[in-house]
Amino acid sequence: MEIISERSMTKTTIKYYGKGAEFAVIYFKNIILTLITIGLYYPWAKVEILKYHYQSTELDQARFSFHATGKEVFRGFIKVYAIFILLYAFLFYALQTQNSVLMFSAIGFFYLFLLLIIPFAIHGAVRYRSSRSSWKGIHFKYLGNRTEFFWMYVKGFLITILTLGIYGAWFQVDIRKYIFSHLRFGDLSFDFKGDGGDLFIINLKFILLVYLTLGIYTFWYYRNLLRFYVNNTRVYQSGREVKFKTNMQAGDVFELVFINGLLIVFTLGIATPWVAVRTLQFFFRFLEIEGELDANAIQQAKYDDYDDATGDDALDFFDIDLL
Amino acid sequence: MPFNVNFFDGKTSRTHKATIHISSLNWRISYVDENNSPIDISWKPEIIKKADVYTKDLVSFSYGDTFPFQKIESSDIAFIEHVNNSEHKNLNSSLDALLHKSKNKSLVILLLTLVGLAVVTYFYVIPAVVTGFASTLSKENVIDFGNYVFRVVTADLVIDEEASDKLQAFVDEMEIESTFPLQVYVAESTEMNAFALSGGKIIIYSSLLEKIENEAQLSALIGHEVSHIENRHVLKNLARNLGGAIFVSVLFGDVNGATTVLRDNAHMFSQLSYTRSLEKEADIFGLDIMRDNDVDLHGMPQLFEILQKETPIDVPTYLSNHPMLKDRIDCTKQIASKQKDVLINSVLKEKWSMIQQAL
Repeated sequence: MEIISERSMTKTTIKYYGKGAEFAVIYFKNIILTLITIGLYYPWAKVEILKYHYQSTELDQARFSFHATGKEVFRGFIKVYAIFILLYAFLFYALQTQNSVLMFSAIGFFYLFLLLIIPFAIHGAVRYRSSRSSWKGIHFKYLGNRTEFFWMYVKGFLITILTLGIYGAWFQVDIRKYIFSHLRFGDLSFDFKGDGGDLFIINLKFILLVYLTLGIYTFWYYRNLLRFYVNNTRVYQSGREVKFKTNMQAGDVFELVFINGLLIVFTLGIATPWVAVRTLQFFFRFLEIEGELDANAIQQAKYDDYDDATGDDALDFFDIDLL
Repeated sequence: MPFNVNFFDGKTSRTHKATIHISSLNWRISYVDENNSPIDISWKPEIIKKADVYTKDLVSFSYGDTFPFQKIESSDIAFIEHVNNSEHKNLNSSLDALLHKSKNKSLVILLLTLVGLAVVTYFYVIPAVVTGFASTLSKENVIDFGNYVFRVVTADLVIDEEASDKLQAFVDEMEIESTFPLQVYVAESTEMNAFALSGGKIIIYSSLLEKIENEAQLSALIGHEVSHIENRHVLKNLARNLGGAIFVSVLFGDVNGATTVLRDNAHMFSQLSYTRSLEKEADIFGLDIMRDNDVDLHGMPQLFEILQKETPIDVPTYLSNHPMLKDRIDCTKQIASKQKDVLINSVLKEKWSMIQQAL
């Protein structure tokens, strides 16, 4: 057993070097290209924007890299849109027949499909993103099993419905635990130590207090959520545990949300790229890595060259963001 | 001249402080490893992969066809300068270098382009595409669509069957060249309203019908609505709204917006307002129908006067999509005054009196 005293605890920080004006050039360039191609350029736009955020993020004097290509994401994008166009076509066809059996089965099929596609999408997205992310030349990798994750998701979803949503907190935590425990970075592994009960209490406090405080409690709620997710994240390097910590306060959340809101409203949305950069700066400013991470001793592991971005595109379609 | 870079060999995460010598043939990377042995690595420019993104103070490249890939990162200003001026497409994107050279100027140009593009698309491209689409859609499709909307709209309405039959008899007697089978309905409501759906259905609210005084005014109303149907105004309007909304949602990166418009529109048909030019077109077309049926064209301005009396606040023209009723009254009055020898259409007069009895 290792005994780590307070003094030997090293604190490392992640720095985000993105700049508003610089990102704005990239952002607006991509919007223009997306518009004149009636949306077909979107995959390339998305990739470049993510590449910018990755390459602006620094840990131990090295930046992160995102290796996705527009072509890979485009292939997934086309698949997702083809599936949804067919699905909607079937739904509209069924609705206009006015045949109640056909209508109900179409609606049922539609929602069932949406439900069942989400775990596959999450799996695909995590695996693709991990495979395409690196730092110091070392790649991330996701080793989760798709079938196992799928059944875990379906089970969690059903219990959540049966318990009228109460189980939702445990369900969310289980998903995160599964993903993190199957995530690798070279020879580093990850875990999520959060407890569903803690998340449930955070949500319960929010429901009880948000109306009483006329919404002001929201800032504390966001702080609590962020702390819950960040502080329970672990990294393991040759048996040593490394922790993440955020010390963001409710006042900080308020400042972030309030100023972002003002920026967006008063510039009619033109400030969007500046807001994105501000938000990331803000997040990383409060993030600390505690413990001895030997940033020079991570060994590369076997490469998972997963080039199917369909899951990533599907999550984008549902407007679900990873992490 | 050598530049300073950080080199990663792809096997471990160790940062190697290295120097790089660039010639037209290769990039030579040299460093001393942890065992103090000097290492020399050569990169061929055609295999080097750029990061494909611009960050001002840092450049990065990766190398290799097979995993693990080697990587360099550098904040050496001289190296960044060199890369930015490079002509090799593996190393540099000339568009990005140009855009980031003078950021503020680029931002102004990009924003102006964006606004220009948005204006042109919204006011020219979308209306053109939409009108083309609405005009080429097959008759059957238009009718199917109209039936779908009719079901949605009438779900909240009570149809007066008897009055509807009488009104239908009136319309059947009218001489109208219509591509679509015309079906008229009287809906019980205190609201003063009438509207047409694609594919031939017209709904008139009972309180408006009660205010109508003669067959000429009723022909004016029918003629006007038939025009919206014949000229596919409903479809054009919907397609334009939808096109505009899709465009706006793409602009703000929210694709789901499109579905919202579809949903909202289904309930908006009874409140649909047309653009001024479409409304004017419908008035003129309606007058033509009235002329064909030998009714007094003054029925049209009279109808508008009834509506005007019932509309409490008159919205100034520039604020409203509906051309101000006064404008339309003046315009149609002028046309009506040119009508020579007005005949009386006794068949329509009779059908009208039957409607009045049913109300």
